[in-house]
Amino acid sequence: MPIADRLTARKAIIERVRGLGRKVVAVLPFHYPRALLRAYRLHPIEVWGPPNVPRDKGSQHFQAYTCDIVLKATSFLLRGGMDPVDAILVPHTCDALQGMASVTADFLKPRQPVLTLYLPRGCRDSDRAFLIAELRRLAGCCAEISGHKPNEADWAEAFAAEEAADRALASLYQRRPRLALSDRDFYTAVRSREFLTAEDFGELAASLPEGDPPADGVGLMLSGIVAEPLELFDRINEMGAHVVADDLACGYRRVYPPAAESDPFARIAAQLLACPPDPTRGSPIEQRVAALRSRMRESGAQGLLIYDVKFCEPELFDIPLLRKHLAAAGLPVLHVEFEMGMTVSRQVLTRIEAFVETLQ
Amino acid sequence: MTETTPLSHYVRSSRLDYQLRYELLGKALLRVQRWRDQRKLAGLRPREDSVLNPPLRCVAYMKEMMSRHYLEGRYANGVRKVAWVTSGAPAELLKALDFFLIYPENHAALCGVRRKAESLCEEAEHDGYSRDICSYGRTDIGAMLSGKTPAGRLPRPDLLLCCTNICQTVLYWYRVLAAHFGCPLILIDTPFLYHEAEAHQVAYVQRQLEEMVSVAEQVAGRSFSERSFMQVVDHSRRASELWLEVLNRSRHRPAPMTAFDGFIHMGPIVDMRGDPETTDYYERMLDELDERIRNGVGAIKEERYRVLWDNLPIWYKIGDFSKWLGGHGVNVVASTYTYAWGELSPMIDPSKPFESMARVYLHPILNRSTGHKLSSMQRMVDEFHLDGVILHSDRSCKPYSLGQIDQRDHLVQEMGIPALLLEADHNDPRAYAEEQSTQRLEAFIEMMEARA
Repeated sequence: MPIADRLTARKAIIERVRGLGRKVVAVLPFHYPRALLRAYRLHPIEVWGPPNVPRDKGSQHFQAYTCDIVLKATSFLLRGGMDPVDAILVPHTCDALQGMASVTADFLKPRQPVLTLYLPRGCRDSDRAFLIAELRRLAGCCAEISGHKPNEADWAEAFAAEEAADRALASLYQRRPRLALSDRDFYTAVRSREFLTAEDFGELAASLPEGDPPADGVGLMLSGIVAEPLELFDRINEMGAHVVADDLACGYRRVYPPAAESDPFARIAAQLLACPPDPTRGSPIEQRVAALRSRMRESGAQGLLIYDVKFCEPELFDIPLLRKHLAAAGLPVLHVEFEMGMTVSRQVLTRIEAFVETLQ
Repeated sequence: MTETTPLSHYVRSSRLDYQLRYELLGKALLRVQRWRDQRKLAGLRPREDSVLNPPLRCVAYMKEMMSRHYLEGRYANGVRKVAWVTSGAPAELLKALDFFLIYPENHAALCGVRRKAESLCEEAEHDGYSRDICSYGRTDIGAMLSGKTPAGRLPRPDLLLCCTNICQTVLYWYRVLAAHFGCPLILIDTPFLYHEAEAHQVAYVQRQLEEMVSVAEQVAGRSFSERSFMQVVDHSRRASELWLEVLNRSRHRPAPMTAFDGFIHMGPIVDMRGDPETTDYYERMLDELDERIRNGVGAIKEERYRVLWDNLPIWYKIGDFSKWLGGHGVNVVASTYTYAWGELSPMIDPSKPFESMARVYLHPILNRSTGHKLSSMQRMVDEFHLDGVILHSDRSCKPYSLGQIDQRDHLVQEMGIPALLLEADHNDPRAYAEEQSTQRLEAFIEMMEARA
């Protein structure tokens, strides 16, 4: 049975978590403190578009050169897609999401409060101290929404659950070569972390079967913000290639290492700051190159496919240097841009196909 | 990772070269050029065939200052430590350590005005940089890769200082510079202010300012003096106050200068704030504006409509716009962009240099909410007695542009004035459609006529 058929629908999850006494927060991409939300009895449901929503309502507020994630998420909000949630959290990932958060709070004025989180662009002591203070500020907003202030037991429970889910995600990536899953199923499972509870995600991850992977051929590493639609993976498989690793914002960039700090805010800050190299977090290009090179070697990836949502500036700036340095290491790079929709354009597929052929 | 091949267009100068070519000959020649320009400008009378009155005479001084700045840059490597900094960066700290500063954004704008930006963007695009990234970034990366610049030659940086208070783009851009030049990159990260600044946000910026001192000292090879810093901050405050006064002179009717003049005359406040000569320059400019006001001389001959410009200018169209709009009786008397370097002057307190600079560099309009920008525009509409607003929807500047659609709607609905969203790009002429823009501007003027 495809993994997608095993997943509970978002609406049902919302009802279930409400039954557990939690409120629901729509969260835009992509780094945010899950354990904090849980401790304050909030459940995140992430919004990455969605791809099937028309841009029309978003286009009434944002110019055509705005990325699809912002256009579609705004459309989704204005079409009532976020009506069931109690708050909207927009992490400061880029200038476009900054604009969305500001326009939503200042002009669209939805029924729900718009929460923000500024993620510092460095990993210095000053960044850590600021992030801790920023998380405390966010926690104050969360308390207003849920009416709950966590005690020590709440924090302990939240960390236990969310860190177990983080470990489950990391383990999925480690087990990837042994999982008998198609690329589509693997990423459906990875991305179910965007809406499932930590426990449900952990159960799902543990239940995934090991065996011979169905896909074979040219191994690719996939980089970018989000790989939509999932049909992309099927088409890649049909070309005789498969995705052996990723550097996706919706994927590996959120494999957070565990932290041991006793203060809950310091612990969350340490985890968020220790994420894999990520252009939206200001990681130096040297770090990205080294990390990509090493992971491509380990996973057996023969080429890097950078699959970017159109107008994604944080990703675009790094590409020439990534290409140069990875090519020097014998690792070819293809960069394609896409407009988010229900299908992958023929033009994009042709370019990927040609890339795969050169790798074969 | 660092670019190891020697870059022929980044040359180390000897102290002798610097003294001879810059201090002695260069400065003297530029002074002579300025005298000539002054004489020419003093002799200018309003021409019957021009819709504009003669330019401000002080432009001769500004030309000399900016040329001298870039000339010094040619010979700075090997003589002074060079830092490349973003336009909203706390440059005062580096000035106190005697760094020579280059502002890549200002350089890119210079390329735009001289219509060299397109070919430089193409150089960057040829190297793989997408046309969808900021055209300032592409222009400068193109110049960096090719060595081509209308400024003659730019000095290689020993240090990069990037402040995110104008956009996140500068961080991506400066990471490319850091990888290319292999020099330290100091980041001053300024949390975006969706509301009023909170204590932890100010403390964060202040701490980064304090921490950058040791890195800058190491590169500069000299010790930081808080006294020098306070002096530079004091000059900076005075220059910013004067710049604000200069801009506010356009509240008079007819306005003695246009926002297009402002875009050109902002060079010193961006590139040389903290220098005593910048203060002198704006005092001179203010005197000349007051003289114009006393004599009832406006920047354009027939000022029928007064308009606000939002966002960066379209650098390659400044002259054309100034004449075309002037010809239709439209004076663009104010802009949110030029105001950014003046409106924060009351926050600068030389007696608390670190804390006050932290506040100042957190508060540029680009680091504040879309609602705050709307309020600023509404206030300017009232204070400058404006008839309309042109919002330049700048493909290359998302933080400035996202929100403009709602801002325009609020201006029209709440203030009852025409507001036009004009699609373009501040430096890349390929994103500008002449015919379409002209038609939209004509329709905008008709709407102002209908209201008159």
